Amino acid sequence: MAHELTRRRFLAAMAAAGLSCRMPALMAAPKGDVMTNPIPSSGERVPAVGMGTWRTFNVGGDQYLIDQRTEVLKTFFDLGGTLVDCSPMYGSAAEVMGEALDTLNAREKLFSATKIWTGDGDATRQQDRESRRKWGIERFDLQQVHNLVAWQQHLATLQQMKADGDVRYIGITTSHGRRHGDFARIMETEPLDFVQLTYNVLDREAEDRLLPLARERGIAVIANRPFQGGRLFRRFQSEALPPWADEVGCRNWAEFFLKYILSHPAVTCAIPATTSVEHMKENMGALYGALPDEKQRRRMAAYVAGL
Amino acid sequence: MGTTWLSYSLSDFLMFGPEVFLRLFVRINQDLWPWQGVAVVMVIAIGALLVRGDAMARRSALLLVAAAWLWSGAGFLMHYYGPINLPAIWFGWAFVLQGALLTVAGLFWPWNAATNRPIWSRWLMGIGWIALMGLSPLLAVAQTGNGQAAALFAVTPDVTALGAVPCMLLFPRRVRWLFLLLPLIWSLFSMATLWTLGTWVLAVIPGTTLVLAAMACFVSPRQARNPD
Repeated sequence: MAHELTRRRFLAAMAAAGLSCRMPALMAAPKGDVMTNPIPSSGERVPAVGMGTWRTFNVGGDQYLIDQRTEVLKTFFDLGGTLVDCSPMYGSAAEVMGEALDTLNAREKLFSATKIWTGDGDATRQQDRESRRKWGIERFDLQQVHNLVAWQQHLATLQQMKADGDVRYIGITTSHGRRHGDFARIMETEPLDFVQLTYNVLDREAEDRLLPLARERGIAVIANRPFQGGRLFRRFQSEALPPWADEVGCRNWAEFFLKYILSHPAVTCAIPATTSVEHMKENMGALYGALPDEKQRRRMAAYVAGL
Repeated sequence: MGTTWLSYSLSDFLMFGPEVFLRLFVRINQDLWPWQGVAVVMVIAIGALLVRGDAMARRSALLLVAAAWLWSGAGFLMHYYGPINLPAIWFGWAFVLQGALLTVAGLFWPWNAATNRPIWSRWLMGIGWIALMGLSPLLAVAQTGNGQAAALFAVTPDVTALGAVPCMLLFPRRVRWLFLLLPLIWSLFSMATLWTLGTWVLAVIPGTTLVLAAMACFVSPRQARNPD
């Protein structure tokens, strides 16, 4: 089956090569090792890109969308992801996640993270039990107090649950930069494995106090809203990446936004959410390749701020 | 904590995107097929009953509107919308309650046997109502670009509330407000949801309902002419 090199074949090959340069995320499979970070309290390593489910997995009983979200989850696992974050607040997301995990038979690959979200401080175990039933798992890897709701009671119960082996790690969450003062005080005084907070190339308040505090206290950090709930793409997608993007290991805006976050030394993991398999592939691209150094991070933030 | 609440926006309370919401219309139509025909017959029947206008016709029209509240509340709101948006379940119960109240009112309200509206007014009301119910479903089609997404009266809550408001003119003003409360509250909730989702075309329906309900609060039925 030797093929003669004709002018037509040569031009076709050149066109394909050119196309692959224009669409690197689609044409190039990720290369190298998956980027992982240690959980300071145990040393266990988790992939640096996880998956959020806010808005994306709340599809109710829509089987068409459940199947589509299952494909997104499959892509996430196939490309090296493990940590999936959810909350009882997210409607049917937990049930959909359970069904997707059933379909993929993928619970072995999963680092399961969810939250306690109820004003009833006595309902911690009950809500944990309900979430485990929906996910179809025996225990959560990480259970967090959502947005500090009734945090004193919930955290005390979670500490006991961890001691009993009913959950592996515990933490607290906030978003949109809310209650950072309370958040810092809890980080200073309570034994926590994880904190989850909003951090991205535009929302950088956490750099002032919370991220340094997490490093100091040995607490893993999950960055939520890495794309500002999609706003960063709506705002910057039409703009060109900087000509030096490849120097910081970025082939698209998703990698640019995620690698900015992941290159902060206190960050353990970012949890972008998506409904699209193609976007998931782009997100998971941030698990591979070089990370920017401190000087390059400043350049990235300045570039985005200047657009 | 006080300033924390100020930092929330409507989108913080919405746990789903437009794709999931708009597919609700497609899904319920696929599952109902071909029983949408019942809803179409209801629309034509209510229009005809509004034209006829006598006491029996009013009773029958209101019983059909009551059935529409029940059907859209128990079906669309509680079964389809509720799993992705908890308040939809509460509204579903409110729709069912509204349907039950209207059923009682339709059966027992002491209307005069004869209508007191002129014939042209009844024709205008009946034909106008059918036209409104015939055109409103197309807004969901325009929003989604999918013919299967038609939002029908008695099936979907926004069009049901829109269609119910003109029928409440059959009641005297002193009791009408009781049946306009739910359309008003639902339409405010729906407007806020659709606005946040960015589904502007669909938002026209609850917007129109709000205007009609506000107007209905101030319209009085024509007084019966004294035979003397």
